[in-house]
Amino acid sequence: MMTPEQYIVATYVLFWLIRIQGCLRRGRHPLSRGKEWFLTVRVPEGFYEGPGRMVLRRYWMRMLIPFAIDIPFAIAIFWSGRIWLLNILIIGLCALIHVNHLYSVDIAERQARRYAMPQEPMAVALSLQTRRLRDYTNWAFETVVVLLNAGIIGWLIRYVTTQPHHPGLWRVFAAPVLLVYLQAGLLFVKWLLVIGRTPVPHSDAVDYMNALERLRKFRLQFCDLTRLSFALAIIFVPIRVSLRPAMLTRAVSIWLFCWLIITIVLTIWGEIQRKRVMVHRVQLPDFQRLSDVARPLLCYEPSAPGLILRSANGLSLNLASPVAQGGFLYLAGLIAILAILPRPH
Amino acid sequence: MPIFLTILPDDPRPIYQQVADGIKELIAHGRLPEGASLPPVRQLAADLGVNLNTIATAYRELQKDGLIAVKHGSGSVVTSRKTNERSQDELLRPLRTALTELILAGLSPAKIETIVMRELKLAAKESE
Repeated sequence: MMTPEQYIVATYVLFWLIRIQGCLRRGRHPLSRGKEWFLTVRVPEGFYEGPGRMVLRRYWMRMLIPFAIDIPFAIAIFWSGRIWLLNILIIGLCALIHVNHLYSVDIAERQARRYAMPQEPMAVALSLQTRRLRDYTNWAFETVVVLLNAGIIGWLIRYVTTQPHHPGLWRVFAAPVLLVYLQAGLLFVKWLLVIGRTPVPHSDAVDYMNALERLRKFRLQFCDLTRLSFALAIIFVPIRVSLRPAMLTRAVSIWLFCWLIITIVLTIWGEIQRKRVMVHRVQLPDFQRLSDVARPLLCYEPSAPGLILRSANGLSLNLASPVAQGGFLYLAGLIAILAILPRPH
Repeated sequence: MPIFLTILPDDPRPIYQQVADGIKELIAHGRLPEGASLPPVRQLAADLGVNLNTIATAYRELQKDGLIAVKHGSGSVVTSRKTNERSQDELLRPLRTALTELILAGLSPAKIETIVMRELKLAAKESE
């Protein structure tokens, strides 16, 4: 049986493998619709032999930024011997990879647009179907998740009230608080996926809408399965607090082994599904002409409804959006919980 | 079968007007029957990437015409397939504008008549 630290390293190695796969997938994005396109930009013949070659190369180079940030941090963590910090590094890199990709795509498209073919303004089909989180909620599943969380937390409350020699309130409740908080975060992500912008090109509106719906359902399902894995992880807390110290290391190893297996299964399932539900992104018209105005990286525009605004000089995070405010509040809470988590010995 | 509104970026009408006209058309053709609910203002605004007021203005126009009822908290529903009582002159105004556009586009009266009859038949057929 491996030690807990070895499992953390194994998870980090797995994370690297997943990222390489993600890099390959993202690297193919610009050409996924053929040589006439660069992402959502219609390009002339010979683009990839001319200026497109540099645009594409820069796009690929930007994909390496997370690796360039990761490597020195990982070396420092291994050097310091605080291997558990790799978990925090993985969470941070997950966010960085997505943000980096978002900005990288925008930069690449703006560069490619200088050589773009003239295109007809695209008519947009707007669905009148109301999208609510409850329409995408499986109540049986939610009941299981709630009962699992509530049952374990109830058991822990009973444990600390009846056992005078418990390891301390925060030592008992830190992990469940973090896991419940992460589940709440995933619910927030689910809500974002449901309300997310989904106008479709007027041509092929039904097919495109169906494809988007499949993609949305896959993402929601992924969120649900991850939430379930967090809910299942709480089961380990009562086991941990009621075990004798001599057996604790072995129990942690078993738990981390299960966690690793769950991660591998979820990743493989996610990669298989991702291929099935791939949708070509389209550039929709900017009705409010928001992209004509230059904005800093962070802006405050209550008149614009979006979270991320397309500006003349790139993407800008709109702090006036309730989603941005909710997201920042959530992140602040997460950082606070991580900061006061008991450190492993 | 999902119901779609079509929004054209090169349409001279403002976005709120396109949204209001589109919903009116769907109501007139019976694709949005009485009692059908409309998506919240926030959803449509986010989908189109426009200000909340743009969609709210469209909904207000539909409410003023008596076609929908906006209920705060529970969304908007189609209440009627007939607009509020309006004078004949008021009703004919958009038709006159459309006919003027067609004449200015260089279409002959015979051609315009054919177009109008075809559209009228189509509208009547869809609303049945």
